Amino acid sequence: MSEQEKSNISEGVVLEIQRMSTEDGPGIRTTVFFKGCSLKCSWCHNPESISLHPQLHWIGSRCIGCKTCRDVCPNGALLFTESGVLIDRNMCKGCGTCAEACPSNALELLGKRWTLDSLTAEVVKDRAYFEKSGGGVTVSGGEPTVQAKFVEDFLMRLQKAGIHTALDTCGMCSRDVLDRILFHVDMVLFDIKEIDADKHRQFTGKPNEKILENLVRVSEHMLICSQPDHLWVRTPIIPGATAREDNIRGIGKFIASRLHDTVSRWDLCAFNNLCRDKYVRLGLDWPFKNAELLTKEFMEELAEIARDSVTKPEIVRWSGSTKLDEDKGESRHAMLETSL
Amino acid sequence: MSVLTAKETQHKIKVAKYLSPRISWLRDYYFKGAERAWNNEFTAWSTGTPWDIQFQELTYYIIPEVYVFLQTMRASYRQAARNVKLHKDFWSWSLPERRAWFVKEVMVSYLPQDMLPGDLLAGGRFNIQTSMCLTRKETEEYDRLTLGKDGARTKMKWFHDHGYGNSGSTSGHLIPGHERALKLGWKGILADLETKRNRLNKSEQNGSAGAQIRAMMTSATMSKELAAKYANLCRGLSAKQSNPTRKEELSQTARNLDRVPWEPARTFWEAVQALWLNHMLVMSDENYPGPGVSFGRIDQYLLPYWEYSLSHGMDREFGKEILKCFWVHCNTAYDAMIRNGNQGITAGFGQLITLSGVGKDGQDMTNDLTYAILEVIDEMTPILEPKPNVRLHRNSPDKLLDKIVDMVSSSQGAPFLLNFDERSMAGMMLEAKKAGITHLVNESNAHDYAPVGCLENTMVGNDRSGTVDNNLNLLKAVELALTGGKDLLPYVNRITGKTEEIGQDGPATGDAATFKTWDEFWNAYEKQTRYIVQKCAETYEFSEALRSKFFTTPYLSCLVKGCAEKGLDITQGGAEISFTTLEAVTYATTVDSLLAIKYLVFDKKACTMAELINALKANWRGHEKLQAIAKNKAPKYGRDDDAADEMAARVMSLWCEETWKHKTASTNRRFRPGMLSWNYWAGDGYVMAASADGRPMGQFLSNAICPSNGADINGPTANANSVGKALGGKATYGNGDWDGYLNMLPNGASHTITFNPSIMCDPEHKEKFKAFLRGYVENGGTALQLNMLDPEMLRDAQKHPQDYRHLLVRITGYNAYFTTVGKELQNEVIKRISHSGM
Repeated sequence: MSEQEKSNISEGVVLEIQRMSTEDGPGIRTTVFFKGCSLKCSWCHNPESISLHPQLHWIGSRCIGCKTCRDVCPNGALLFTESGVLIDRNMCKGCGTCAEACPSNALELLGKRWTLDSLTAEVVKDRAYFEKSGGGVTVSGGEPTVQAKFVEDFLMRLQKAGIHTALDTCGMCSRDVLDRILFHVDMVLFDIKEIDADKHRQFTGKPNEKILENLVRVSEHMLICSQPDHLWVRTPIIPGATAREDNIRGIGKFIASRLHDTVSRWDLCAFNNLCRDKYVRLGLDWPFKNAELLTKEFMEELAEIARDSVTKPEIVRWSGSTKLDEDKGESRHAMLETSL
Repeated sequence: MSVLTAKETQHKIKVAKYLSPRISWLRDYYFKGAERAWNNEFTAWSTGTPWDIQFQELTYYIIPEVYVFLQTMRASYRQAARNVKLHKDFWSWSLPERRAWFVKEVMVSYLPQDMLPGDLLAGGRFNIQTSMCLTRKETEEYDRLTLGKDGARTKMKWFHDHGYGNSGSTSGHLIPGHERALKLGWKGILADLETKRNRLNKSEQNGSAGAQIRAMMTSATMSKELAAKYANLCRGLSAKQSNPTRKEELSQTARNLDRVPWEPARTFWEAVQALWLNHMLVMSDENYPGPGVSFGRIDQYLLPYWEYSLSHGMDREFGKEILKCFWVHCNTAYDAMIRNGNQGITAGFGQLITLSGVGKDGQDMTNDLTYAILEVIDEMTPILEPKPNVRLHRNSPDKLLDKIVDMVSSSQGAPFLLNFDERSMAGMMLEAKKAGITHLVNESNAHDYAPVGCLENTMVGNDRSGTVDNNLNLLKAVELALTGGKDLLPYVNRITGKTEEIGQDGPATGDAATFKTWDEFWNAYEKQTRYIVQKCAETYEFSEALRSKFFTTPYLSCLVKGCAEKGLDITQGGAEISFTTLEAVTYATTVDSLLAIKYLVFDKKACTMAELINALKANWRGHEKLQAIAKNKAPKYGRDDDAADEMAARVMSLWCEETWKHKTASTNRRFRPGMLSWNYWAGDGYVMAASADGRPMGQFLSNAICPSNGADINGPTANANSVGKALGGKATYGNGDWDGYLNMLPNGASHTITFNPSIMCDPEHKEKFKAFLRGYVENGGTALQLNMLDPEMLRDAQKHPQDYRHLLVRITGYNAYFTTVGKELQNEVIKRISHSGM
């Protein structure tokens, strides 16, 4: 929250706006990925979303070697080496001067400041598709509650405009923030990654008590205020971490016993490795860089366990890439890299 | 590698299914191509005069690939032509009468009639090149007007060589009045012609109107005489047939032919038989197979026959079997040049059928026949003809969308185009206002519109709007604005190596390097746009005048309302609604270039105008940094960026308003705007100089109304929104041309979006995709081609074309077998962004 207070409240830092998103709630949605996260999951698929501050990265395949960036950098943070542009992370202030000047967009600043007006105007453009599909806008991250005030105001605007809103949260925020935001969202996508408190701390840097409390809070809010009216739980299935029978059983038991039947869907999201290059570009190591994808059979089995552990088995779904799809997934990723 | 190929082939390529032995055989036989014993290749026929000409080259003026062969083709058909014994009075007749008699004589008395095994429809060979039936004197005049210094060929070559585009009076591209022909039969059509003839006064009778009506009356009995020949053939085959089922089928076919197309059709089988003969003879009459000779709303006008036969004992599957035979017949159009390789299949055909759509009061017109035809398409796919276009609108039923989405997800892309009624009808209403024909197109009948070729919207049975006749590169005006009216680069004749001197072709709008403001540049662009539109109209006039004088099509004229009434052939502007369409090419490249000039020179001052012009002259060599800025930093159309899309709308409105101002002198046809841009965006990329959007010479231009390749980084909804805005969007206070909608392009605009197959991976996603289509109805354009691509598969298909013969891809609204398109175009398809829903 202190970071949030430091930044200008009338502006939000947004990593990406994804239109025609079909994976973040019902219908066709525009998902706004806010920067900044209150957890630090070791497997994080969007490492660029953890810091609230804009970050620089360099995409080698785009670089035309003009060295404009080196000339314009006010901090001398960019070096040309044999393997390309090297960003001195200690010198780089994330001011974006180089990204602005880079003719080929090889240097990109991840994270852009948006005003409420401009962000609202941007997301309402797909209203027709929202209306036809029962979709809307999802605020995601990072963790959107890190920029609580801005996100709350943003959701209020959307609510006023009659647009369906969804909060995609890791659950790690103050109860006060959660309470305020819940009044402005039609549904919540809530991550429970790990049921064991120690393991949770080990994987994400924080224990899970508050998260679980907040989840219960969401379900109570639904019962009392009929708002939000849908709750989806999501669990990332990470090999060597959360992909354990006891974890799934534990989460299932929690859903069954503590949430008053408010969960209409529980998604098991299989690990994918498409973010491998992102870590390299951000100059970060990724403990999961050599981890293999899970198999379809394993996911089926885990889903069966999940179904077995809740009262309404039909709420359980699983998705994501599995080993069979690996070749295809990589090639699709490669293509997006070259064409975007 | 081979394992991968086998796997892909097994999993990805859609195979025809649920086909009866009859249809399987016919379909397989068709795909044997040049190995077939029977085919429908062109035969050429002559009056026997030494000056005779068969090849009607005007239709090929819009196909730059064949320019170098025009003279060879003319000579070859002449050389191969067989003589027809002429009627003793032949040379005393008018040209239309000669032509009508000659085509009929060839079709009825010279061309062999055959039935393929199991076929339920008669009407085999129809591809002919007939004599133009000219006297020596007429030939001399024709040659002078074609080949002379001011000849049509010379003019159109200049137009193309200098990067303006192409233009020529082209055959087909209309929907004949099939509904009327089925209801009245040719008997009724002939009776109507007789009445019209009798109403002519003596001098009219002796003049061109009399000659035209007499020619049409000759043509009006062609199908009757041909049907009689086929009936005899079927009776003979039936007599020899030992299988009782087949024996009866052949007898019934003969009985059908005894009746139709002369008498009104009664049963579904009769109606489809009549429809086929009526249609195929249009292709014979025009001497060119299937160029947008379209069927219109067959699920509407065939419905009474379908319902009648179903209620009189026809099995629904047998009805589909008749349709499947019809499908096979349509594909034999390609046999025309079967020896050219690839079974003669080119992208340049398009016998379009229209399905579904709104009715008079906005209700949905989907019916059982709509679904039966969709089943036929699904079961016959992949096969190219006839091309289906499904009309969607606000009230399209879920069941129809379910079927569509299922079909798309099970093939490599939609086996049909989608047309969007509200936006399309807004365009038809605009057309009526602009041309003062609100008595012909208005709120009570705009829903009767149908597309021809692939997506070109016209009215039905009374409309020829030359929907592919003019293809203008809007980008040329940007080039001319930069140079003050001159080509940026001199034209070099590739065969002689000679360099032409650069001339002052367009208006002298001044040295762009001295322009102080963006507005000054825009003003120059405006003037140059006026000039290129005018140049296009002038160029078209040469071939239009020539066609109206020397190449009438009296048979086709019988099927189009207005021709008999006016005593004018359809090629002379006889149709009640007679536009010619200017199809703008390079739209997004033009908009992006203007955006880039504004950004680079005026807003960001990244370079001076002189530097930019030098960079373009050097094809960006030595200016790579500036090129990268133009490509990556300047705004682009197609991202739902309001500022960029405003430029797009401004460009659109300018050239459209200019287009409406022109009319053909010889035939009084007004120009109307559209955006089809077939495959010119590929070929002309090598003709046109580098453009300010960062595109070097030799790289493709933008396609139709689509954003430039790679520019649509915000996904399908943003892409669609930009397209809708470019067309005019919706009226602010609800006073649009149709239900709040605006559409500057009555012809419609080709829009392709490529999706990743994951967008339809399960029922939940299919629902989302359906919602996308409903959203497109609200925000998008007039027509949409859905592509589903797996780049891996396409790359493998490049390496192993032999394993992917049936792999269909869509290029600007056309279906094409992937392995038949050139390497560059293949690479282009692969490069296209595939929108992942993840």
